[in-house]
Amino acid sequence: MINALRAGAYGIPFMPVGGMWGSDLVANRPEFFQVMKSPFDGKEVVCVKALVPDYAIIHVQEADIYGNARILGPTYQDVLMSRAARKTIITTERIVGTYRMREDPKHTEVPYFTVEAVVELPGGAKPGICYPEYLTVDWDDHKSYVGSVKAGEVPSFAEKMLKGRV
Amino acid sequence: MREKVMSLSQAADLIKDGMLLAVGGNAMHRNPSLFCLEVTRRPVKGLRVCGAALGIAADYLFATLQADTAYFGFFGLENEAGLAPGMRKSMEKDGPGRAVEGS
Repeated sequence: MINALRAGAYGIPFMPVGGMWGSDLVANRPEFFQVMKSPFDGKEVVCVKALVPDYAIIHVQEADIYGNARILGPTYQDVLMSRAARKTIITTERIVGTYRMREDPKHTEVPYFTVEAVVELPGGAKPGICYPEYLTVDWDDHKSYVGSVKAGEVPSFAEKMLKGRV
Repeated sequence: MREKVMSLSQAADLIKDGMLLAVGGNAMHRNPSLFCLEVTRRPVKGLRVCGAALGIAADYLFATLQADTAYFGFFGLENEAGLAPGMRKSMEKDGPGRAVEGS
């Protein structure tokens, strides 16, 4: 998966990937995995097709009005996603001045030129966690979501979560 | 640099039928949850999502049957939050959900 996004970010159609040998996924998903011979020594290698998302959707703790974004805490694959996607949509706990990026330029995980939209959305990761802003799952809302899926009532869950937010 | 601040509603309008979306975060952590919920309120369909560890935000799009394909290494809410109910409902029962799994 990560190599598929890497191939997307590098602008190449596929990428060799180690570690897929022995997995049925290679045979079951030929549209995503293919085996080819290395042009260098003829050894077989599994390749994964590039993924180029239309948008990466990333929630961050801090962004400026131009789309420079800082992720405090683990970045997961979000930096890679922003490079693989055609454009990125940022939702942010708060909008900060660009001086925050100038203070510590290496910490600008997502730079402005990859970004199309910035939405100030405090609590945007709820009912999940957003370190260090809110550190536990909102269990009442989590339970309410699981119940809404079973009952086919996701629209009313969305209505409740988004009240006054749009 | 151009100013790009917009409302949640304006940003959700950027999502069109058939798009491939990379959904950030991990399981229940730092997901673009409210953004994806806003997308569920639109008539967008045929979405595909990707991410190494998809979580609750991507799950909404399967719960509403707006997404039909997930490229992922892991898809769940993790720990006490359990499995991803929308994805399971779509892929195991009545939906169009299709898994393209990669480690």
